[in-house]
Amino acid sequence: MTEQRDLSPSNPAAEPPARICVAAVAGAHGVKGLVRLKPFTEVPEDCVAYGPLSSADGSRTYAVKLMGQVKAMLLARMEGVTDRNQAEALRGTRLYVDRAALPEPEADDEFYHADLIGLSAMLQDGTVLGRVQAVYDFGAGDTLELTGTADGNTLLVPFTQAIVPKVDIANGRLIVDPPKGLLDIADPNSKDQDGGSET
Amino acid sequence: MARSVWKGPFVDGYLLKKADASRESGRNEVIRTWSRRSTILPQFVGLTFGVYNGHKFIPVQVNEQMVGHKFGEFSPTRTFFGHEADKKARRR
Repeated sequence: MTEQRDLSPSNPAAEPPARICVAAVAGAHGVKGLVRLKPFTEVPEDCVAYGPLSSADGSRTYAVKLMGQVKAMLLARMEGVTDRNQAEALRGTRLYVDRAALPEPEADDEFYHADLIGLSAMLQDGTVLGRVQAVYDFGAGDTLELTGTADGNTLLVPFTQAIVPKVDIANGRLIVDPPKGLLDIADPNSKDQDGGSET
Repeated sequence: MARSVWKGPFVDGYLLKKADASRESGRNEVIRTWSRRSTILPQFVGLTFGVYNGHKFIPVQVNEQMVGHKFGEFSPTRTFFGHEADKKARRR
């Protein structure tokens, strides 16, 4: 989860996030100040691999050491938290790392979700389609969800070389070359090639 | 021989016709379908389907690994969107 950003189409410059939420404190464990962390990273243990974690407002920084695992949660010791009361007080705290602390993706065609979200999607002629709101993978490859489209619906775009030929993170945009029917896929009045009949 | 083998994979007839028409025309277009129960056949590879999930059409670009599965498997009806954190997307 990234920090709350204004991704509305009216916001011309949705900056990439400076910090990324990698975990949240779910509660206390035991009486010696251990906390249960709910990790949001792809590999759960990586939530502490990118350096010290900070609170949402950035006012506190914690050095975190993993101590074990309980079900889907990680047990961790946070610097300065020595008893259960202090650990309980942190319940619900979201923990962030700087975006710059994440290693650059290894492959050319790999992008962090956090970098893609907020990009402006436009056609090759410069027409703005919307803004990337989320990235999903339903099993058929990654899919970008665009919001702020002209008809007000969200639009799903397969994240492939053919359909998204250019991703320009530095300038905050990506180019979409949609196949016929993709832009009006949600339109109930759009006709299929057999006249819209399914029976 | 198992019944499922001699009977062959199930595909709704109209979807087969649509896919054949699209492939023969050579046009790159999204084929909207409500037939989540249809099996993905080898001749669908390379085509893009919009598979209805009860709410919207999820674009599914068919590749070799999907053959034998049903369309509905790639268009979930309930989703937990999760957190992005350090997750990466790969452009195929």
